[in-house]
Amino acid sequence: MTWYQTVGQHPDTVISSRVRLARNLSGYPFSSKLGAAEANEIIEKIGSVLEPAGFRKIHFSGISPVLATSYVERHYVSPDFANKTSPHALFLEEQEGLAVMACEEDHLRIQCILPGLSLEEAFKNARRTEQLLDENFDFAYSEKLGYLTHCPTNLGTGMRASVMLFLPALTMGGYMDALASRLSKIGLTVRGLFGEGSGSAGCMYQISNQVTLGFSEEELLHRLEDAIKQTIEKEEKMRKSISGDALDRLTDRILRSEGILKYAHMLSSSEFVKLFSDVRFGISLGIVNDITYEQLGELLVETMPATLTLSAEHSPKTAAARDMLRAKIVKEKLTHDNRGKE
Amino acid sequence: MLCEKCKKRTATVFYNENINGKVRSFSLCGDCAAKMREKGELQDVTSMVGSFADPFSELQDHFFGSFFGLPSPSYIEEKACPTCGTTYREITKNGLLGCPDCYKTFEAELESTIGAAQGTTRHQGAVPARHRAKQKLEEKRKELKAKLDAAISKEEYEEAARLRDEIRKLSANEKSDEKGEN
Repeated sequence: MTWYQTVGQHPDTVISSRVRLARNLSGYPFSSKLGAAEANEIIEKIGSVLEPAGFRKIHFSGISPVLATSYVERHYVSPDFANKTSPHALFLEEQEGLAVMACEEDHLRIQCILPGLSLEEAFKNARRTEQLLDENFDFAYSEKLGYLTHCPTNLGTGMRASVMLFLPALTMGGYMDALASRLSKIGLTVRGLFGEGSGSAGCMYQISNQVTLGFSEEELLHRLEDAIKQTIEKEEKMRKSISGDALDRLTDRILRSEGILKYAHMLSSSEFVKLFSDVRFGISLGIVNDITYEQLGELLVETMPATLTLSAEHSPKTAAARDMLRAKIVKEKLTHDNRGKE
Repeated sequence: MLCEKCKKRTATVFYNENINGKVRSFSLCGDCAAKMREKGELQDVTSMVGSFADPFSELQDHFFGSFFGLPSPSYIEEKACPTCGTTYREITKNGLLGCPDCYKTFEAELESTIGAAQGTTRHQGAVPARHRAKQKLEEKRKELKAKLDAAISKEEYEEAARLRDEIRKLSANEKSDEKGEN
């Protein structure tokens, strides 16, 4: 089971938690100054430690752009990494949510992504992998600035921790700008998962630490987790406060969305995200009862353009064909899966 | 916001000039600002301020590059890292350093920039295993040195000699470890 096929703590509001550590090997220039031979040498070295530890190596120079993008859609690599032309490789251990990008902006981006609110565990997993590499290699480090990174925004701990939240009530209430400005005052940033800024279509937001230097990993994680818990509390309070006429209207909208999601013949990617958000909200409010978070989580990844294209026997050639395929996959999962269970 | 000169790259330098009441302002990318600076078209350098292009974008966290708004004298711009050859001009252009040694080379130039981006310039987090071992050794050496000083001041010369030998042994071990690493 991978992070998007299962749920963790606070499934009503939290989709996933991610921690990534940036590291560089001393004795080499940073990634943008690496020659192809040096980059391959680093990939080999990293592989010699990670492959025996159960990681699967995917050499990105040798894969198709659509396959590369599908890893972006599963949140294992960054879009920049998928589009790089110089040698770069991914080391993946999906069961533990571990992904190590070799020769990204930094030589190593060690990350762990887990379902629900689980920052501590994600950090532990990433740190364990980091220590495995630390035993074998000399990381670029200075006592004053900590781990030395290609871009100074990652100096110190090299750690970026983030939580993907589902905040439909705060979004509907128009509170996202206020939340973003409050969080920025304590060194945290908010980013919409779909679309920019506060108008995130799927009501999904990533909250992460901006500062990486001057605090211990634990302090940074606690500060983020505190803010996340307060945000969850506010979202839940808002959800409970919906009543009367507003609740009837919302219930109607959610059930209509459920109907379209289950039975549409064509679904565009943006329409899917909107319906997804409504139905996910409906599950948390007890309005939708025969769809699970797990099914929706799988669909969120499976209906993304690249992953969708890869799943088809004959890759869809037009946007209309893609939308039909998307609708078919959604319909099958949401109607047939349930019949199977009964 | 796009650079008003090339209309291609994101504007990261916002220039305001007021010379004898005559006001000019530009929104420029780093490249175009550098070109205009070379040609002497930007006069009032004190009002040139960098800004965040998109501080919330984690994936494009190169916004740090925009902190380098103020122009530097040419001898600093041309200063190069002896290890990788990266110049300060290159660093200010894209916000990325060339190699770990660049942090030492440009320590003075980067201090305020790092402070502005991070709020502090002193690491508090995890330490690599090899560095931890060095730190431990250093602590042990300091402890022995303090004991040695105390022994000397109390005129306990036999104890002092023993401590001195112990410190020498520590240093010798460290040296042979380093040789082993190379």
